[in-house]
Amino acid sequence: MCIQFVKRIRVPNILVIIEHSASRPKKVAGEQLTVARALAAGGEVHALLLGDGARAAAIDLGPLGADVVHVEEGGFERYASLRWLRAMAALSEALKPSAILFGAGSMARDLAGRLTMRLGGALASDCVQLSGSDGNFELVRPVYGGRVRISASFAGPGPLIATLRPNAFEAQKPAMPAAGKIVALAIPEEPYDLRSVVTELAKSSSTRPELTEASIIVSGGRSLGSAENFKLIYDLADALGAAPGASRAAVDAGYAPHTMQVGQTGKTVNPVLYIACGIRGAIQHLAGMRTSKYIVAIDKDPNAPLMKMADYAIVGDLFQVLPALTEEFKRVLKS
Amino acid sequence: MKLAVCLKLVPATTADIRVAADGKSLQLAGLETIISAYDEYALEAALKLRESAAGSSITAFTAGPEECLKCIQHAFALGVDSGVHVKATSIDGATAARAAAALFKDALPDVILCGRQGIDDDQWFFPGALAELLDIPHVTGVSALMLAPDGTSAQCRRRIEGGDQVIEVFLPAVISCDKGLNEPRAPTLKGRLDAKKKQALVKTPAELGISGESSVLRISAYSPPPQKNTGRTIELAPAQAAAEVVRLLREEAKII
Repeated sequence: MCIQFVKRIRVPNILVIIEHSASRPKKVAGEQLTVARALAAGGEVHALLLGDGARAAAIDLGPLGADVVHVEEGGFERYASLRWLRAMAALSEALKPSAILFGAGSMARDLAGRLTMRLGGALASDCVQLSGSDGNFELVRPVYGGRVRISASFAGPGPLIATLRPNAFEAQKPAMPAAGKIVALAIPEEPYDLRSVVTELAKSSSTRPELTEASIIVSGGRSLGSAENFKLIYDLADALGAAPGASRAAVDAGYAPHTMQVGQTGKTVNPVLYIACGIRGAIQHLAGMRTSKYIVAIDKDPNAPLMKMADYAIVGDLFQVLPALTEEFKRVLKS
Repeated sequence: MKLAVCLKLVPATTADIRVAADGKSLQLAGLETIISAYDEYALEAALKLRESAAGSSITAFTAGPEECLKCIQHAFALGVDSGVHVKATSIDGATAARAAAALFKDALPDVILCGRQGIDDDQWFFPGALAELLDIPHVTGVSALMLAPDGTSAQCRRRIEGGDQVIEVFLPAVISCDKGLNEPRAPTLKGRLDAKKKQALVKTPAELGISGESSVLRISAYSPPPQKNTGRTIELAPAQAAAEVVRLLREEAKII
């Protein structure tokens, strides 16, 4: 009986930090909760939602697998790292989760490391595999810009703080929705937490999907020749509902903004389909996109590294192939 | 104003990193090493801040084996005032953060600059962890940085999904740097010569009172990234090539 009791208090909770926009959880939330359910194995999956729209977004999380959803909007109108950390740390102290799962986005980049130090656990950024139970975890994550993968295990002390690379895990709705019980979290406001605070949010005017979250990406290289010619990339991207990207060479040449750069000093992406147009495939670029499920490359040179890596390599002039591809996608997507 | 910059030595982005045959280690010996790309922006930002505020000084920090001294020498060649090398054959991120915190805590710099991530372990851990230990605010991955005229705060710009945040942070603070913040300068010949006269302070973690293990991941294996199967090459006229690839994406890959 004593052993059973010990077991019961050790049932591991999993805490999932959910980001939301426009009152809906981000797409990676489904992936986080799928992983959390597998890790919880009998324990509870708790989700945390902070900021304006948290309450509305919370409703979506039960069907995705959250047993309990903790929400707090008051005092979270403007992003302030220390205040967000206070909420995460307070909930972690209360729940003693064996793992805390973020989606690998800008909030995780900002907070996961500091939270790890505060809670005394270990950080694993950009996990592409994660399994385990009872506080023993096995994971795989890329290092050296994706040139190597490490397999690692963690068994404490402290929680595993993992950020999950978007699209690396398949979201599966549980057959039966979880309770998704919404619980108000009260985090006292401390002036100290406002030592770093967002005073302005300059939203990009783009309605296109975000690179790091996109299922399809259309990327252009220096062969496009000018910023005007990048229209060919935007046209194809828009026909597919895709995010436009660019190689470092194209960004450095001024054809596209740095926010579009894919690669080691840009963004690491993980789409289902990556269409590379006139990109040779420098090692730094491959580092940022090599985990794409399918790669289509268009280039004059069939021996370019990216052409050799592509699932489908079109040898040709991208100024002719790109418009043809845009038309063809428009045609089949309409039918 | 007191400034500090944290530098990490890593294999070059073009280095051919190979996994040992047994998958238990990496063959890193003899590879070209560089200062982690984002740390270069941090170093340049420190130099710019020093130029803007008379009487400022910069301390460069690095941790790791003997070879890491290269980071400090590079910083000296760019005119950084002093340098500290925490020497250890291998050092994890948490221990490095503890070492930096131990060095900085008694005479806290106004701004501690770092790269947003080390381009070796890609963890994005160190800046936030260091700020936590020093109990000061941090800002992650800034692409613009402007000090308030009174020097008590800084305005930072940070790229996030779908836009930019403008962040006001009170100093002292840890600020991690992203590409686009500046164009790192190269050392001059005179700078290189002057650097030879400077000596880094060398400390071991034990001398800084750091003992005990960090809670870390246990690495069990290394592997190269999964190789893709050889793909198809399509050499057709543009319209036919487009039709063929769209057909393959629908019928073979089944993703459109």
